[in-house]
Formats: sequence, structure tokens, C-alpha cells
Amino acid sequence: MKKLPIARPLSEPQLGTKWAKGVMSSRSVAAVVDHDRRNLLAVGSAALASAAFGLYAPAVIGQAKRFSGTTLNVSCWSASYPSLLAEYVPEFVEQTGAKVNYDTPGLPVYNQRADLELSTKGAGFDVLNITFIFTNRWIGNGWLTPLDPYIRDKNKTSTEFDFADFLPGAVAPLKDNKGVTYGIPWVTDSAMAIATRYDILQASGLGMPETFDDLERFAGLVHKKDDVDGFLTDNHWGFWYIPLLQGYGGNVFRNPPDDLMPTFDSPEAIHSADQIARIVSKYGPQGAGGMAYGQSNEILKAGRANLSFVTHAGGMSVAESSNKAAKTIRFGMMPRGPKGRFPGIASHGWGIPVGSKNKDAAWAFIQWAQSKALLLRMVKDKGLGSVTRSSIFSAPDYRKIIEVNGVDTGQLVLDTIKLGEQGHMKYRTVPVYPQINVLINQAIGRIISGQMSARESMLQAQASAIADLKRAGVRL
Amino acid sequence: MTAALSGQSSWTDRRGRELVWGLAPALAVLAALTVVPAIYLVVTSLTPLNLAVPNSEWDFSQPLGNYVGMFEDPRFVHSLGVQVKLSVASVLLQLLIGLGVALLLHQNTTVRQLARSWVLVPMVLPPIVVGITWLALFTVDISPIHRFLAWIGLPVGPLLTNPATALWAIVLAGTWQHFPFAMLMALAALQMVPEGPVEAARIDGASRWQVFWHVRLPFIMPTLVVAGLFILIDSVKAFPLIFIMTDGGPGDVTEVTNFYVYRQAFTFSLWGYGSAIAVLIMAGVFVLSYVIDRITTRNDGQWS
Repeated sequence: MKKLPIARPLSEPQLGTKWAKGVMSSRSVAAVVDHDRRNLLAVGSAALASAAFGLYAPAVIGQAKRFSGTTLNVSCWSASYPSLLAEYVPEFVEQTGAKVNYDTPGLPVYNQRADLELSTKGAGFDVLNITFIFTNRWIGNGWLTPLDPYIRDKNKTSTEFDFADFLPGAVAPLKDNKGVTYGIPWVTDSAMAIATRYDILQASGLGMPETFDDLERFAGLVHKKDDVDGFLTDNHWGFWYIPLLQGYGGNVFRNPPDDLMPTFDSPEAIHSADQIARIVSKYGPQGAGGMAYGQSNEILKAGRANLSFVTHAGGMSVAESSNKAAKTIRFGMMPRGPKGRFPGIASHGWGIPVGSKNKDAAWAFIQWAQSKALLLRMVKDKGLGSVTRSSIFSAPDYRKIIEVNGVDTGQLVLDTIKLGEQGHMKYRTVPVYPQINVLINQAIGRIISGQMSARESMLQAQASAIADLKRAGVRL
Repeated sequence: MTAALSGQSSWTDRRGRELVWGLAPALAVLAALTVVPAIYLVVTSLTPLNLAVPNSEWDFSQPLGNYVGMFEDPRFVHSLGVQVKLSVASVLLQLLIGLGVALLLHQNTTVRQLARSWVLVPMVLPPIVVGITWLALFTVDISPIHRFLAWIGLPVGPLLTNPATALWAIVLAGTWQHFPFAMLMALAALQMVPEGPVEAARIDGASRWQVFWHVRLPFIMPTLVVAGLFILIDSVKAFPLIFIMTDGGPGDVTEVTNFYVYRQAFTFSLWGYGSAIAVLIMAGVFVLSYVIDRITTRNDGQWS
């Protein structure tokens, strides 16, 4: 397995700053795609050529540098894609004449800045990332511009843009209840399972765990074999606990997004909390319950803990060729519970603040930033691993880049995104989820550290959640 | 005579006016930077300001709602308890270690002068560096401390994820970072102790401990009290180490009040509620500042 492009995990604010930025050099990507690059080049060149002339193909095509004199303020948090995009921005400036102020702060800083800017409906930014956990809040409050009029307008949108090419599961979180689109997704990160020492599982006659009970049993069977702990994931329980909770038939709220009564006191919530805490405390390394992403990821890279829950991007960082686990890592779907499989999914996309004074130029920027031509070049030149266009996903060259030890992780991503159609991520995009996320982290932390039983801790979380939601003005 | 007095009065008045005019720009800047934000904080604390709720910034229908709600919030009350534990432990440890090191470095020798410089290093490190350093030192797999303890047959489990030890691990890291301040204060005070009483006590046969306890300590005690109050104020501002090392956990055992404010305002967007707690912290710090001012003023009077 060659060195792979790394995107940051895209699920939560507190993780964002702790991920090291890792972008494969163009040389190493070129080595990966050497045999297949000719096709890719051909497609890319054709697309590039068409983009050069066709991005503003209809009425706008003749207007070279039609945004001269316009200054666009663009911001996104510092994931792999937006960081790579910075290198290409001068091309947009050259094509359109617009001046672009482009910045990529860390995720927590970005979220606070964007939240404040959007809530005041200011004109400080023209293009902003729509952070997944803020989608409901930002879209629901009318702080973003509907993009459908732009997508439908042939004078403003080239046919090359091909909005239908975006994965429906990636676009869905960026729409409101009426189906109006507010964002163009640039990534949909998917939760899955990995085994960093799959060889140990195989030697024990085991495969990847299919259910959470399998996971607990397998982790116990391989725990401490070859001095490797059975299970480890980072302490973001607000993300990793939910697949178990939903897998056993529970949920965070009674019926999100309409009924936000928390349901941490349900038997399913208590059972699943008990199980995840048991797995972590029995089969994890010392202190596993408190390990943030950076710590757990280093242990996984070294192959010192075996089974884990990761995002696709996080798993790919473990699979980098420089890591000890690279040759023995195995990817699999997030395990399921008796009620089904509910892996975490997080979409982020470009949007236009409602207060922007340069919406046409902003839309041109978004089209350019998510154009097939540019994305293909980023895949080819920079090893971009996170895409949301089905045409790129279905390209054999791209799939080969993200194949790991014979497992087509691209297919795992597609299957995971497909599962998003169940609508199980609705709990996460409600405006008050940040409060609930903290409460879940604390509740599971209390169980793992032995401060409380699962029942006591979840009942306390329930009481705290009700108080917090009432304080936030939620009617229960 | 009257004319002379009148002239003097006029000169005093003029000097007073010019002082006011001279200070006015600095006072204006100070007010803009501190008083205005503080007033805004107080005003915000009287509203249920939530960025997701339109017009909540001007909703004064329940001006004391946040303050009442605060004391009905068990997590806030819990955070106060955590804060008290952290502050008391920080003050005691930092003063004791600072004083102990100051006593060791009190004499002027070359080695001690070098040591004085080195001891100051933790204090000038950015908190983020201190946090990451101690996070590594408390991570069992990679920590030389844990390895050494295991090697001598005294293995210690992870301190940061153990609810019984997490807060004390934070206190330890904070003490390492901040004790040089107490050390500097104590050292300066020790050097101000007059030699006469010390010599007299020695001639009377007092032991080293008796000299310290009965002569030096009473001299430096006012300074130590002031240092302790400064450390107390500093402990109320504890944030970076907790943010980096425990994120308030495990559970909420290291969630001090300052960290709780951060969560309410920046994570939950409940700016009104967060502001109310911040106002309470600000009031507490004002009270402590007043106490420091009274003590230092009294000491100045004594010395003069």
C-alpha cells in the first residue's frame, strides 16, 4: 500500500484541531497512479479544457474577468481539501478577475467565527463552509442563500457543473425540510471499523466484526495477543456511541428534528452505553477512555491497539505506508446492532451567507471549487482523497488510490453514505446538538472511569440534557 | 500672604487640571478596553442571548433569569466545587514549593544564580507547551515518569483518566508552571529581611528552623499572602491545561467554572448564561483584587 492522501476527520469541532494535516506529495501520488494516470489525464485535460471555456459557458462565457473589482471573502476550516484548494485559488483569480481573500482556520475557531458572522447576517464573508453539526442551525434560521435558483440558472451555471453528479447522500444534509439546497458538498466522511492487526484476527479464525456483540467478543479474544490491545477509539463518544445506541433501537432524541426530548434513560441507551464502556475499559490500553484523537491515532498507527472505529479519512491516515499498521490494516463497515447498521456520516459543503453582497461571484467560486475539472486535477496532482462526485467515485483510477490491502474503501464509503438515506443522522444536525454531544462525552466518560454505573450515568445525562435544552429555549 | 496662598491654590488647581488632561487619553483607552466590554458583559448577562434565537440580545423580560438559573444548575454548582479544590491546592502547593526553592536559592553563589534563571523557565513557557508536555508525561505508554515508576516496582496507572487523580494531575502541572512566581516573590522578600534580628537570634542560640520560623517568616508573610492571592486569581483563570489535558473529564471531574463558561458560550452559544457566570467570576476577582490592594496598602504604611 502506497502512501495515501489524508483528509482530516470531519465529524466534530473538538477533533478538528488535533488532526495532523497530511497531504501526499504530488510525486508520491503520481507513483500510485502511474499506470492509470493516462486515462485520468485524458479525462482531466478534457474536463479542464471544457472548464476553461465552459465554466461560464452560456451568457457569461464571453465576459472575461467579469468579476474584476470584486473582492470575495472565503473561509473554510483547515481540512485537507480546503487547504489544497488554496494553491489553486490564483487560477480562479486569473479567470474571473475577482480578488479572493481565502483563509482556513482550525475547525473550532472557524465554527465560532462563522456562527457569529452568519447569526448577525453580516457581509463579512461571501463563501463559507457549512459545518455538518451546524447545518440545521444555519440553514433553519435562514442565514444562508438558497442555491437552487443559481443551479437552475443557465446564465450562471455551466452544464459542466452537473449538480446531479453529487452523491445524494452528501447533498441531503445541506438541504432544508422542503428540499431546498443551501450547500455544495465537498466531503462526506463516513464512520467505519478497522483492525490494525487483522493478521491476529485471522490467526484466531476471526474476520471483521459484523455486529457489536461480535466486536466485543473478538476484542476479548485478541486482547493482548502479540502485546496488542483489543480495542481503541478516540474519546469522542458523542460520535462513536450513537451507532450502538441506534443499533439497539434507541436514539438521542425521541423523534429528531421535531421532537427533541432526550432519551438517554431508555433501556437501549443504558444497554449500549454499558457495552461501549465495557469494551473500552476491558480491552483498551490504559487510559483509553480519555484518549483524544491524536493519542489514539498514534497508537493505532503503531498497531498497538487492534479493532477501532474511525472515519474513512482517519482510517486512511492509519493506513499510510510509513505506519507500522499499513500492511496489516483492514477496513470494514461499522458493525450493526439488532435493529440495523447506523454509521456516522458527516457532510460539509460550500454555502453563501445571506448577507453577502457578491453572491454571483460567490456562486462562480463554488462552481469552480467543486468543478469536475478541478477536482480531478486535485486527485491527480495532490492525492485528494475526499470527494463527493459520483463520477469521480466511479473512476477506477480514483478507486485504486483509496484501495487498502485489497479492500475497496471507496465502496465502503459509498455503502455507508447510502445508509444515510435511513435518516438516522437527523439527531446530529439539530441546533442544540453541541450541548448533547458534551453530555454524552461526559456520560460515557463517567462509566468508563468507573465513577458511575451505566444506568446512573445515563439518568444523570438525561436530567442534564433536559435542563440544557430548556435553557436553550427548546420546548419539550 | 493671602495673595501667596491664592497663587499657590491656583497653581495646585492648574496642576490638577493638567494631570486630568494628561491622563485623559490613557484613561479613555483603558475604559474602551476594559470598562466598556465589562459593561457589555453585564448587560448581556441580563438577557437570554442565544445566537440562534433572533432578538434574544435585547430581551430583558427576565433580567435575573440567568442568575437565578445558575444556582439551580447542578453542573455550575459542581464546577464551583471543582474550582475551590483546584484553587486551594494550587495556592498551597505553589506557595510551599516556591518558598522552599526560594530558601534554597537565597544565598548568592554562582550555581544558585544559574539555578534561579533555570527555575524561571516553566513560567515563561506558553501554556499550550506546558499542556502538551504534561499530557505526554501523564501518558503511560510514553511517559518516562511512568516507566521509571514501573521500573522501580511502583507502577502508576493513567492519572488523567482516573477520576480520583485527574484534578490533582492538573494541579501538579499548573504548580510546575506557576511556582516560579511564588519563588520570585519569596526570594525578593527574603532578601529584604534585615540581618540584625537574624544575627540577634543566632547569638541567642536559635536553630536554623527557629530563625526561619520566628524571624524570617514573619517578615516575609505579608508578601506570601499577596503572592497567594495572585495565585488564587490566576487559578480562577485556569483553562489551557484543562482544555488540553482532560477537556473537563473524565466525566466532569476537572470542569472548573472558567471551563464551564467557555462551554456555555462557545460550544452551546448560550452567551447570556455564560456572561452571567463570567460576571460572577469577575466579581469574585474584583473582591480578591480589593483584598490585595488593602493588604499592600497596609504593608506600605507599615514599611514607611
